[in-house]
Amino acid sequence: MPSHRSDSSRPFVTLAVIAVAWLLVPTAVKTFTRATFFELTAPVTLAASRVRDLQDFWSLRLHSHTDLIEAGRDVARLNSSYELAVQQNTELQAEVGRLESLLRLPSYTEYRYEHARVARREFSGWWQRIIIRKGANFGIPSGAPVVFTGGVVGRVSEVRAASAVVELISSPEVRLAGVIEGDSRPISFQGGVNPTFAPPTGVVEFMPLDIIVTPSSPKRLVTSGFGGVFPPGLTLGTVTRAAIGTDGLFQSGEVQLDARLGSLTEVTVLVPVAIP
Amino acid sequence: MRRTFVLLGCSILLWTILTQVNDAIAPWRVYLFGGALFVGFSALTQPRGPGLAASLLAGLVCDATTPVAFGTHLLLFAATHLIIAHVRHRIPRDDAIAGIVVVLLANLGLFLVFSFTQIHESPAPAAVWPRLIADLACSQVLLAGLTPWFFRLQARALVLARVPRYELT
Repeated sequence: MPSHRSDSSRPFVTLAVIAVAWLLVPTAVKTFTRATFFELTAPVTLAASRVRDLQDFWSLRLHSHTDLIEAGRDVARLNSSYELAVQQNTELQAEVGRLESLLRLPSYTEYRYEHARVARREFSGWWQRIIIRKGANFGIPSGAPVVFTGGVVGRVSEVRAASAVVELISSPEVRLAGVIEGDSRPISFQGGVNPTFAPPTGVVEFMPLDIIVTPSSPKRLVTSGFGGVFPPGLTLGTVTRAAIGTDGLFQSGEVQLDARLGSLTEVTVLVPVAIP
Repeated sequence: MRRTFVLLGCSILLWTILTQVNDAIAPWRVYLFGGALFVGFSALTQPRGPGLAASLLAGLVCDATTPVAFGTHLLLFAATHLIIAHVRHRIPRDDAIAGIVVVLLANLGLFLVFSFTQIHESPAPAAVWPRLIADLACSQVLLAGLTPWFFRLQARALVLARVPRYELT
């Protein structure tokens, strides 16, 4: 009988031994092991991503010359409008510089744009993140903002040798300060619930009571620039619904994020440039 | 040792398949979780030491590539492995249906425990459950189809690596 009892408790004893042994492992060893196992699987992720790119390349090769000519014409039109925007941007930046020196204001952080292909996407109910094909080898720092044509993608949470992990703004772990476009009061933004087959969402808190938001008149939520990580004015999403919070002093609301967050193939990392 | 590394190689292959499928279905906001499949074959058919080592290493692979506290998968996989290994003498090891049932039950348990450890970050934890249940349903369907193939793959890989077949006593 005692041997039977000891046999039935054996798995729990073994589990307890494993748990205690794991707790006693020094943090440095755990960090090293984590990095080692990540780098062990990184070539698989990067190779699969490159194979997909090759597939895309060969499928694009099948397009006719007429398609290419039409695409080239469209790109030329876009380029001409962007050139105009670049000229205006240069003038505006010079104006900002003049005003900063006149008013002795601190300068905005300057960024270097590092474009990166997305190697892998994970869009679970627990977290949402992407792995990009650039890491420490391109000087990408941890915490750097990541953007795409639709606005903010997220921020770099881990940097490895040739890849980096970007936590998406739809992820519940991401919290940012945002403002309603045209307003200067900061609002707390957090990634929210991401239902199946529906666009990702986030939540806002501490929204002033005088900002009226309804599904028929949504408001654009942009980055505030506070905290110095994200430059101001980048689109976070659209506040579609708001209701007075339990304290009665502020509103809480729902933010519709860009549906393309789940299908990104290329993003831009804003790498802060140290000002001499 | 060879047995453990062969099983680890198979686990990395499974991890690759799952991550690529999850990448492909990310635009639909569906996520497939196959934790129990990393453990099922080792726990049901392999010797205690090398089988447990293979499950722990698979846990470390999953831990290193997910934003969870390092060791979460390791401990969950260890617990699942030990529970399955403890009752395996009552399960027909060569029966595919029995293997599928064990993996589905283990995956259900792992998914629920894992969800409870992760959803505290969410601004509305209760609202996350419909999404998690949808993910769980899709994961179980995938595992039901994938388990016989993956069990056969691991058995074949061990034969090719000339690892002697282990007979349960």
